[in-house]
Amino acid sequence: MAQQLQSINLVAPAFKGINTEDSPLAQDPSFAEIADNAVIDKRGRIAARKGHSVITTTKTVLGIDSIRAIKEFRDDGGNTKIFSIGNNKIISGTTTLVDETPASYTITADNWKMVNFNDKIYFFQRGYQPLVYDNAGGSVVTLSSVSGAAGVTSTMYGNEVLAAYGRLWTADFNSDKSTIYWCDLLIGHDWSGGTSGSLDVSKVWPDGYDEIVALAAHNGLLIIFGKHSIIAYQGAEAPATMTLADTVAGVGCVDRDTVQYTGTDVLFLSHTGLKSFGRTIQEKSMPISSLSGNITKDIINALQTENTFFRSAYSPEEGFYLLTFVGQDVTYCFDVRGTTENGSYRVTRWVSTGFTSYTRQEDGTLLIGTSEGISEYVGYTDNGSAYRFKYYSPSLTFGDSSRVKILKKLKPTLVGANNATVFMKWAYDFKGTYSTAEFTVGDQITGFYGESEYTTVEFTGGALTNQRSLNATGYGTSIVVGLEADIDGSQLSLQEINVMALIGKLL
Amino acid sequence: MDDEYNIGIPSDVLGAGATTAAPTSGGGGFLDLLGGLGSYLMQPDVLLPGVVGGLLTGEAYGRLSDIGRQARTGAEELAAQQMEQTQFRPFTVTTATGAGLGTQVTPEGAIETTMGLSPQEQAMQQQLFGGAGGFFGQAMQPTVNREQAIFERMRAAQRPEEQRQRLATEERMAAQGRLGLSSAAYGGATPELLAQETAINEARNRAILGAMQQAQAEQMQQAALGQQFLGAGYLPQQQLLAATQPAQQLAALQQQAQLQGAGLFGEATMSGLEAQLIAEQARANLLGQTGTGLLQGALTPRTDNSGLAQAISGLGSLLGVGG
Repeated sequence: MAQQLQSINLVAPAFKGINTEDSPLAQDPSFAEIADNAVIDKRGRIAARKGHSVITTTKTVLGIDSIRAIKEFRDDGGNTKIFSIGNNKIISGTTTLVDETPASYTITADNWKMVNFNDKIYFFQRGYQPLVYDNAGGSVVTLSSVSGAAGVTSTMYGNEVLAAYGRLWTADFNSDKSTIYWCDLLIGHDWSGGTSGSLDVSKVWPDGYDEIVALAAHNGLLIIFGKHSIIAYQGAEAPATMTLADTVAGVGCVDRDTVQYTGTDVLFLSHTGLKSFGRTIQEKSMPISSLSGNITKDIINALQTENTFFRSAYSPEEGFYLLTFVGQDVTYCFDVRGTTENGSYRVTRWVSTGFTSYTRQEDGTLLIGTSEGISEYVGYTDNGSAYRFKYYSPSLTFGDSSRVKILKKLKPTLVGANNATVFMKWAYDFKGTYSTAEFTVGDQITGFYGESEYTTVEFTGGALTNQRSLNATGYGTSIVVGLEADIDGSQLSLQEINVMALIGKLL
Repeated sequence: MDDEYNIGIPSDVLGAGATTAAPTSGGGGFLDLLGGLGSYLMQPDVLLPGVVGGLLTGEAYGRLSDIGRQARTGAEELAAQQMEQTQFRPFTVTTATGAGLGTQVTPEGAIETTMGLSPQEQAMQQQLFGGAGGFFGQAMQPTVNREQAIFERMRAAQRPEEQRQRLATEERMAAQGRLGLSSAAYGGATPELLAQETAINEARNRAILGAMQQAQAEQMQQAALGQQFLGAGYLPQQQLLAATQPAQQLAALQQQAQLQGAGLFGEATMSGLEAQLIAEQARANLLGQTGTGLLQGALTPRTDNSGLAQAISGLGSLLGVGG
C-alpha cells in the first residue's frame, strides 16, 4: 500500500540566518547552514545581497592595489570630498582618483583612519605624522605644517583617532599602548597647549595589563577598548576632570576598524565575536552574550587567521552591520533589526566579494572600496558580473531521525530572480555529495500600469513570485536542502521551500 | 668836698686844722713863713704838746695797723681750723651678702670710692655676663641658618599630613582612573593635583615666612635676654649702691653736723676776734683822739700855760703815765 507523502514546509527558510553553533539535527529549520551572498530582506526572508557598481573610471594612482579606506569629508560650508586610501597614497575623488599625498611624504602602509573634525578631515596611522585637509587649503598637508601647530611629535602619531567631545583623541602608538592624547578644544593641530592633555591608563586596566586598540564615544562616555578589556570614562567633555565610569574585563576589541556606531549602541568585534557595548556594560556581571553567537567559532577562526585588515560598516538604510576579513575575502552581514532567541543578530555571509573598505555617505549611500576603485552598494551585479547566492538548510530529520526519508519533490517559492538559473540541491546523512535539480526562472520583468501596458508584459504587482516543483531522488535519515543561484541583475528572495518526502522504515 | 683833715696836702697831717696862710708873692715870703713857723714851734708851750700829740697819733696809727694784722691772722687761723673741721671723713659700707663700698681721700684731696662684691655675687655676675654675651652673640648672628632650621622643623611637622593627603588623593585618583592624567591647562597635572600642590606650596611659603618671623622674633628675644642678663649682671652692684644709701645719708648728716659745728666754731671765734678788734680799735681811736687833742692844743694860740699842762696831762693819761 502506497504511503502518503509527508509535506514539510520550510517557510521563510533561514530567516534567522546562519547557525553553525548548534547541532545540525536539533536545529530550527529557520536557520541556515550556509547563507552566502545573502541578506535578510525587508520581509524577513533570506535574499541575495545587492551588488556593487564601480563608479571609478580612472584609477591610475591606485594601480593594482585596492581601496583600503574611504571617508567622506564634509564641512559646515556644505563642501564634500571623498578621500580614500590605497597603493600607499592618500587619494581623493570617486570617478577619477587623484593622488593627494603631500610632497616628500613617504607612505609605506595603508592602515589610515580618517575622521572629520571641525571642518577638517584628519588622517592618522601609527608611526606617521598625521595629515589634515580642509576646503580652504585645498590640499592634504602634514599636521605640523598647519599654522599654530604645537605638540605634533612622534609620541602622538597614533593608529587610532576619535573625534568626540570637541577634540581629537589618539592612541595606539608604536611603543606606547596605554596612553591617550587629546588636542586642545576644537584645535586639532594643538597637542601641547590649551586644554590638551594625556591619560595613561596602564594602571587602570582591570586585568592589570592591556593595550589600547580603539576609542569610541557613546552616551557621554569615552570608551577605551583594550584587546581584552574595556574602560569607560565619564565627563570627557572636560578631560582634565573626567573620571572612570566603568570597566569590563575579559572583553576587548580586536581592531579599531570593527567599531561602528548604531546610534543607540556601539558594535565592535571582540576575540569571542561581535559585541554590543551597551549590552556589555549592562551584562558585565552576567554571562555576556554575543551578537555573533550563532557563528562564534566561525568568527573566531576568521579573526585568528586574518592577517590583513578588518573593515566594517553600518548601514541603517540596509539594516546591517558588515564585518569584512579582508585577507580572507569574507564578509559577515549582521542584520541589526532584530535578534534571535539567544540574543544574536541574524547573520549571513558574503564571500569572494573583493570588498576591502566601506563608508556610508550622508545620503545613506554605502560606498565600497575594491581593487577597481570606489563602488556603490547598488543593483544586483558585482560591477556587471553575476555572483552566486547560496542557501543550505541544516540537516532536517522531519521530527524523527530514526526513520528513512525518501525525498519526492522540492517546491521552492522564489521572489524575483528574473531569468536566473537556480540550482536546487539536496543531500542525505551529512554527506557532501549533493544531488542537483536546475531550472531557470522566467522573465520576471515587472510591468507597471502606464509604463508597459502596450508592450510585451502584463501588469504586475512588483516583484514576481516563482514557484517550481522539482523531483528529488535518494533517501536517508537526514536531509540537507540547498538552493544556489547566480544573481545577475535581479533580486532574489527565498520565500519558502516545500519538501515532500515519504517516511520510511526504522533503521 | 673839702678835706677836713687836709689829707693829701703836702704839708702832711701835721698841718691838719691849720689855716692856710695866703701865699706871699715871691720866694722871700715862703721863707719868711717857714721862719715864722719854726719860731712858733720852738716855743716851749707849743713844742711839747705838739711832740706828745704827734707821738700819740703815731701810736694810734700803729695800733690800728696791728689790729688789722691781728684780725687777719686770727681769721686765717680760724679758716685753717674750720678746714680741718669740715674735711670729708671716709666711711665704708658692707652689705649682708658680703659686698662692700669703701671711700677714701687721695693725697691729692680727691675722694676715691671702691666697691667690691662677694665671691658668690662675682660668680653670679660672671655667669650673667657670660650669658648676656652669649645672647648678644646669638642676636648678632645672621638669621638665615636659623630660618632654615625653623623651616625644616615646620615642614617636618607638615609633611606627614601632606603625605597622607597625597596618598588619599592618589587613592581617589586611582579609583577614578585618573592617575595617569595630564592636562596642559594644569601644568601637566590634574586639577586636584594642582590644587593640592598649590596648597602645599602655600603652606611651604607660609612656613618660610613664619620661619623668617620666628627667627627674627628669636633674634629679638636673644637681644632682650642679653639685655636682661646684662641688667641682672649689674644687679649686685645696684644692690650694693642701694645698700650704701643709708650710710650715705648718715655720712651726709655727719657732714652737715660737722659743717654746722665748724660754722658755730667760726662764728664764735669771729665774735671774739671782732670784740677784740673793736676794743683795740677803740683804744687806738682814743689814743688818736688824745694825740689829736694835744696837737690841736699845741697848735692853737693861747695865753697861759694851762694848756700845756692839760696837754701833758692828756698825753700822760693816754700813755698810761700819771693820773
